[in-house]
Amino acid sequence: MELLNNLAVGFTVAMTPANLFFALAGALIGTLIGVLPGIGPIATIAMLLPLTFHLEPTSGLIMLAGIFYGAQYGGSTAAILVNLPGETSSVVTCIDGHQMARQGRAGAALAVAALASFFAGCVATTLIATFAPPLAKIGQSFGAPEYFSLMVLGLIAAVVLAHGSVIKAVAMIILGLLIGLIGTDGQTGGTRFTFGITELTDGIDVATLAIGIFGIGEIIANLSRPQEQRSLVTQRITRLWPTGDDFHRAWPAVLRGTALGSVLGVLPGGGATLSAFAAYALEKKSSRDPSRFGHGAVEGVAGPESANNAGAQTSFIPMLTLGIPGNAVMALMIGALTIHGIQPGPQIMTERPQMFWGMIASMWIGNLMLVIINLPLIGMWVQLLKVPYRFLYLAILLFCGIGVYTVNNSSAAVLLAALFGVVGYVFMRLDCEPAPLILGFVLGPLMEENLRRAMRISGGDPMIFVNRPISLGLLIAALLLCILVALPAIRSKREQAFQEPA
Amino acid sequence: MTIANNGTAMTLGERPEAAGAPFWRVLARKDVLAGALFMTVAVLGLWISRDYPIGTAFRMGTGYVPRLLCWILLGLGGVVLIAGLREAQAQLQPAAGAGWAWRPVVFVTASLAIFGLAIERLGLVISIVLLIGVGAFASRALRPLETVIATLVLIVLSWAIFIFGLGLTIPVWPEW
Repeated sequence: MELLNNLAVGFTVAMTPANLFFALAGALIGTLIGVLPGIGPIATIAMLLPLTFHLEPTSGLIMLAGIFYGAQYGGSTAAILVNLPGETSSVVTCIDGHQMARQGRAGAALAVAALASFFAGCVATTLIATFAPPLAKIGQSFGAPEYFSLMVLGLIAAVVLAHGSVIKAVAMIILGLLIGLIGTDGQTGGTRFTFGITELTDGIDVATLAIGIFGIGEIIANLSRPQEQRSLVTQRITRLWPTGDDFHRAWPAVLRGTALGSVLGVLPGGGATLSAFAAYALEKKSSRDPSRFGHGAVEGVAGPESANNAGAQTSFIPMLTLGIPGNAVMALMIGALTIHGIQPGPQIMTERPQMFWGMIASMWIGNLMLVIINLPLIGMWVQLLKVPYRFLYLAILLFCGIGVYTVNNSSAAVLLAALFGVVGYVFMRLDCEPAPLILGFVLGPLMEENLRRAMRISGGDPMIFVNRPISLGLLIAALLLCILVALPAIRSKREQAFQEPA
Repeated sequence: MTIANNGTAMTLGERPEAAGAPFWRVLARKDVLAGALFMTVAVLGLWISRDYPIGTAFRMGTGYVPRLLCWILLGLGGVVLIAGLREAQAQLQPAAGAGWAWRPVVFVTASLAIFGLAIERLGLVISIVLLIGVGAFASRALRPLETVIATLVLIVLSWAIFIFGLGLTIPVWPEW
């Protein structure tokens, strides 16, 4: 019954006109950037982060969360109609979704995608509401050594489950940790890596770093690619409602996708993209007739689309309950909390129940809004797909510039973001994933603080991390992950999981 | 986005890959460059932090964690570098030096930097004109008339969103 009470609190917060407005704004912006290829939720949330400074923390978080799961809805639209993934998480939706569209069943594909996402969103919201309180309780019993070990496990897991080279990703984490140290050391008051620049003594803002590396870096990378050919399915979408056969085939796939996405979303490094890829592979494997895949199988849309939305939402669980970001978007959410002076961690739920439950309730409302935004208004989003990237990048560039400037009204931050843009492009060219860097950056100061505290407790003896059972367990889990990923058999499986299933 | 970005992106004005000498091509492999980059940052970090007080494990000084991280980064960078050098000849990646997009790198970065320097003194409107004026060179596809229209639309749009809508205190016009 406590759950119902909590949800009641949440809905009273989420139903205020202001918060409804920000949920709608988030859902609209999310759909917009989800539809548009070339700009993703990470860059968008980074750009809008400075603006949330002017909002109530709850409203700000509601809007940012809406952008993230809204992008999962929008991403499928571009995938189905144009065969272009609006988001990485809808790459697999292209395969069968676009085939359905070419067979004149675009409406059915869009409806299945939206309804599957909505179902998954409802389930994921319930999961967050059910599992967040007990997890936060566990988190509250953690001391500094346990927290440090938990962060180590979180970072390692984030790297193992993401794609690309593990060693490079760990190096990127360390690099992020180092960038996070720039500025004044809170404990001793000494400055570090400031190069004598006064603007750097307060450290680098997470928005500046993320806008530079993801926003600007992505613009450069996109412009360096040849103009893509868009095969827009232009015929009018007449029939939105799927056939009985579609429903019959889709609903088991939705259940499987939701379950898989919910589990993978909670894991660090999981989230939308991994869930979608895994769900497509699962559907293809479990199908009685795998040859239908690639030729417009409705399961190939329903499974991944429910999985990516479930994964996007359950990835909030570790962030909200333990203060550990599992992916770059969650790292930015933690950045948004700290802008408002809110310390992320298990105490949020007890100290700010209004914010916590308000945000969860808003997710359900937001999902409902998204079905309405995406289905009847589909024509509007199709029009947007015709905007060429050469206009889009100018707008993104400008909003990045204004966004960075408003973080702290400083020209230096804009110059820094430009610099990080080049750095981000270099990373992309060298196949170094930038997401772990942001995770390291956000966790850096927290990790150092907990390390220092743990060492104080033990009198400088590092054995404290192995002597405490919970801490030891977490470290063993991290070590096991490292060993697992080094095994040749698992290594090749892991590489396969991120290949486009042709 | 990253998935479709396995280094296959090609730009205009790119030279055929066979042009470089074998030794140069080994050095231009992605992992070799990435490893070298990590090691350079680590060495730089160690050098900068040479005077930071380290303290003891019990009472950590300013330099303890940074130096620890730099040593780890140096090690990891070395592993990446060696793995890159030892890579089997058969799976040679395309050299990372090929297809760098100098045009967007230069103009995107420059436009943002100019915007940052201009916004405080020249105000939002002129800064937008400068940002787009420079940034438009980053794409070859933009036509002059399109650029002018984009500028006007974006000025109106950003005024409506940021100044009128959100009430941000950004100067709109230059201070005379």
